[in-house]
Amino acid sequence: MAAAATCGAGVLSSGCVASTAGRSSTSSFQRRTKASGADGGGPRLLSIAGTRPSVRNGQLLVSTGLPALDQLLGGGLAVGTVLLIEEDKYNIYSPLLFKYFLAEGIVNGHTLLVASAKEKPADILQELPAPLLDDNGKKELEDIHNSKTPEPDVSMKIAWRYQLLPKMQVGPVSSSRFGHYYDVSKRIPQELLGSSKWHGFFLPEHITSDLKGESCSLSGDYMKLLQFIQNIIYTEGFDGSNPQKKQKNILRIGIQNFGSPLWGDDICCTENSDNSHRLTKFLYVLRGLLRTSLSACIITMPTHLIQNKAITSRVRNLSDTVVGLESFIGSEKETNPLYKDYHGLIHIRKIPRLNNLTCDESDVKDLAFKLKRKLFTIEADSSALATIWALGDLLR
Amino acid sequence: MLDSLLAFGGLVLLRDSVECEGRSLLKALIKKSALRGEQIHVLGCEVSEEEFREGFGSDVNNRLVYHDLFKDPLNWLKPGEAVPEGPLGTLRALCRRTDPGPVTIALDSLSWLLFRLPCVTLCKTLHALSQPNVSPGANSLVEQVRVLGLLHEELHGPGPMGALNTLAHTEVTVSGKMGQTAASILYRRPQQRATYQTWWFSVLPDFSLDLHEKLPLYSELHPDPHTIQVDPTTDLTFNLHLSEKEREARDSLTLPFQFSSEKQQALLRRGPGQTTSHIFYEPDAFDDVDQEDPDDDLDI
Repeated sequence: MAAAATCGAGVLSSGCVASTAGRSSTSSFQRRTKASGADGGGPRLLSIAGTRPSVRNGQLLVSTGLPALDQLLGGGLAVGTVLLIEEDKYNIYSPLLFKYFLAEGIVNGHTLLVASAKEKPADILQELPAPLLDDNGKKELEDIHNSKTPEPDVSMKIAWRYQLLPKMQVGPVSSSRFGHYYDVSKRIPQELLGSSKWHGFFLPEHITSDLKGESCSLSGDYMKLLQFIQNIIYTEGFDGSNPQKKQKNILRIGIQNFGSPLWGDDICCTENSDNSHRLTKFLYVLRGLLRTSLSACIITMPTHLIQNKAITSRVRNLSDTVVGLESFIGSEKETNPLYKDYHGLIHIRKIPRLNNLTCDESDVKDLAFKLKRKLFTIEADSSALATIWALGDLLR
Repeated sequence: MLDSLLAFGGLVLLRDSVECEGRSLLKALIKKSALRGEQIHVLGCEVSEEEFREGFGSDVNNRLVYHDLFKDPLNWLKPGEAVPEGPLGTLRALCRRTDPGPVTIALDSLSWLLFRLPCVTLCKTLHALSQPNVSPGANSLVEQVRVLGLLHEELHGPGPMGALNTLAHTEVTVSGKMGQTAASILYRRPQQRATYQTWWFSVLPDFSLDLHEKLPLYSELHPDPHTIQVDPTTDLTFNLHLSEKEREARDSLTLPFQFSSEKQQALLRRGPGQTTSHIFYEPDAFDDVDQEDPDDDLDI
C-alpha cells in the first residue's frame, strides 16, 4: 500500500499505520495524531507534560500521584477542578495523599503552590516521597501482585508461541508516563526538589500579629490566600493572560488542613458560627479561578470536626471530587476480623460530571486502603467475601 | 510510662474528669522533667501557687517558674497599667521566651483558658507555643518544647475538644475505677502510625508514679470470636484437591496444541521432500466418473 511505503522509516505522518519494524511496542497500531497545523479543523490537543485527555470526553486530566486513585476517579483529576480529601480522624493518611499529589507535580515538572497554616511549605516539600525508578517500580508491582501470579518464571505451557515475542519495554521515569509510583519510606532527592518551581504560603507569615486586634485578623486569612493564588496565576500566565509564555504548564495547588482553627476559622469549634460563609465563599471563588486557568487543586479538610452538618454538605457541593478517608485506629472496627488486613476505608463521595451527563463511576463500592512500608494501596475490600462466609457460619 | 510521655515535644493533652482528677499526674510529669534538668514554666489558673508547689521538693521548686493567674485574673490590683495583659498576653510572652535548653510548659488548666479566650485564638497560640525554638546561637540545635495541658473533659463540647485533639501529639485520658487509675494514651507522632497504650498506676504523695501493670494493646483486648474456621470444601460432591500422583499425571499430560518433541518427530518423519501424499486410483469397470458433473452417478 502506498501509505505503508511512506511510513517505512517509522516516522508517523497523519493517518498512517506504522509497522512494528524498529519499534519495540507490542501493538502494531498507532494512534492517529493530527499533524501540527496541517489539518484545518479540530482542536489541537495540548501536549503538556503529565497530562492526558480523558477517554470519555477528552477532558484534560492530571494524575493524583496514586494510579489506583486515578482509576477510581475515572482516569485522573480533571484540570480546573478541586479534589477535596476529607481527613481521617487522627490525620495520619490524608497528608500522605497530599504529598503524593505534590510529588507527582514535581516529577512531571509542574509548578506547585503549597499553602498551610501548620507547617512551613518548605518542610512539607522536604518530606515528599521519592519516585520509584523503573526497575524498582516493576519489582514493587510484582510484589503487590505476587499472590496472583504464582509461577512467573516457568515457561508458558499453552501459550508457548508468545514466549518469543519481545517483552514490553518500559522506559525510565520520565514525564511521558501518566501516574508514577512512589516509595513512602524514602525522601525525594534534593536535586529533583531544587529543579522544581514552587510557591509557598505559610499563614503565620502573612497575618499581621498584634495583641489588640485579634478579631480582625480572623476575617482576612482566606482573602489573603485567594489573592496569593490569583497573583501567581496571573503573573505566571496559567490563565493565558501573559502572552509571552509559550510553554504551557499546569499549576498544582495544595491547601492543607483547610478549615481547621489554625486557619482562623471556628467552624470546627462551634455549631453556630457567625462567619460560616467565609469558607464556602472561598471555595466558590477558588473554583472560578481554577476553571479559567490550567490548574488543579487538592484540599484536605478535617470535616469530621465541623460541627454544623449543613456546612459539610455545602463544602461537598462546592468541590468537584470528594474522597473521604476513614481509618480504623481507635474505632471498634480495628478489632473486627473482617478488616484486619486494612488500615482504613476510602469513600468516594463525589465524582464530577464535567461536560457530561454521566460520570465514570467504578463498580466497586467497598474500597479499603492499606499503608505498607513503602506503598499506599487501595483495594476492593475482600471482606465482602469474608462476610458471606461468616454469615454462612451463623446460619448453620 | 512518664518517659514515653515526655520523650517527644509538642502538645500533650491530659484529659481528666470529675471522677478522676489529673492534676496529680500533671505534677508527676512536672517533677520527672524537672529532675531531668529542664526548665518548667507553669501557668497557674485554677489553684493557688502555694497549693501547686505543695509536695514538690526544693530542687523541683527551684526550677519552677510560676506565672500566677489565679490570684488576680482580671488585673484589678494594678489598675495603673494601660493594657491589661491577661492570659493571652502571658501566653504570648511565653512564646517569645529566649531561654536556652529544653523547656516544659504546664498549663493548668486549658479549660480555664478555653472559657476566657476564643477557641481559635487559643489553638493558634498553642500551636505557636509548641513549635520548637530554633536558638539563634552558634549551635543551631532545635530545642524541644513540651506543652502539658490539663483539660477537663466534661466541661467542653465536641467542637473545642476535637479542635484541641487535632493539635495534640499525645492524648492521655485519665479514668478511675475502684481506687485504681488508668491512663489511656494515644500517641500521634507525625510521619508515624498512631499507637494506643493503657497503664494502671497510682500517684504517690511525693508525686512519683507507681505502675501496677500494663494492659495489653487495644486490639488484643477483644479476642477473635470467629475462631472456628469453616472449610467450604467438606461437603462437595467433586474433588477440589489433587494428590501428588494426580498432580504428576496432570503435569505429564501433553496438550493437543503443544509443540512437543513427539510431534516434531512425527512431522519430521515425513521427510523434507515428501510433503504431499498421493492417492493411486484404478477406475473400475462400473465406475463412471464424469469430470464435469461429479454427482452424475447419484441416484436422486
